Amino acid sequence: MQPRGGVSNLVGIVLVSHSLELARGLADLASQVAGSEVKVEPAGGGPDGSLGTNGDAVREAIARADCGQGVVVLADLGSSVLTVRHLLQGKANGHVRLVDAPFVEGAVAAAVMSSAGQSLEDVARAAEEARGASKF
Amino acid sequence: MVPASSESTVVLPARVALHARPAATFVKTALRFRARVTVGTDGKVADAKSILAVLALGAQGGTLLRLSAEGEDAPDALAALTSCVSGLIE
Repeated sequence: MQPRGGVSNLVGIVLVSHSLELARGLADLASQVAGSEVKVEPAGGGPDGSLGTNGDAVREAIARADCGQGVVVLADLGSSVLTVRHLLQGKANGHVRLVDAPFVEGAVAAAVMSSAGQSLEDVARAAEEARGASKF
Repeated sequence: MVPASSESTVVLPARVALHARPAATFVKTALRFRARVTVGTDGKVADAKSILAVLALGAQGGTLLRLSAEGEDAPDALAALTSCVSGLIE
């Protein structure tokens, strides 16, 4: 798949939250730190806009984030993970990777690694290693 | 063969803290090199290739940064990073 709008080929990031506001706010933060070249796409809230998660929103966010180099997906809690897992079931080709990472720190670490042109493997690892990072 | 190692110091521009955008610019520069690079402030040392570690330094404008690199391209990495830090803007 070719990148759209002349955007360079970077790993995309998808943020899945029960709250669309939370996902959007974190996407803004990660983009501000890493720069706008990397695609950070939020997916959050239930189909009716309430708190919850829905597979369609996640699928669309993955499609928007995908520039051909793979997509790293971070989920906030519990059923967000289940929604993503359900969506990826049977499509486990490794191109879209759900990572077990802290939501905020993992998103920022992944976005910066992606913006530096690192591989899907390295972006996913940076997100997961965020768990061990001290805040101060 | 013992890997080449180099050290260098550079001062953050007075009005630029090593946070958000400037920290990411610094980390992205470090990631261009194979060398293992650390950045230290008073009593803290961080992996220069980890945005979370660099953010956790909380380095304010005017802080002296101690850069240390180990590996074949260590001198190049330090040259690029000192130049990067000097040129950082908010």
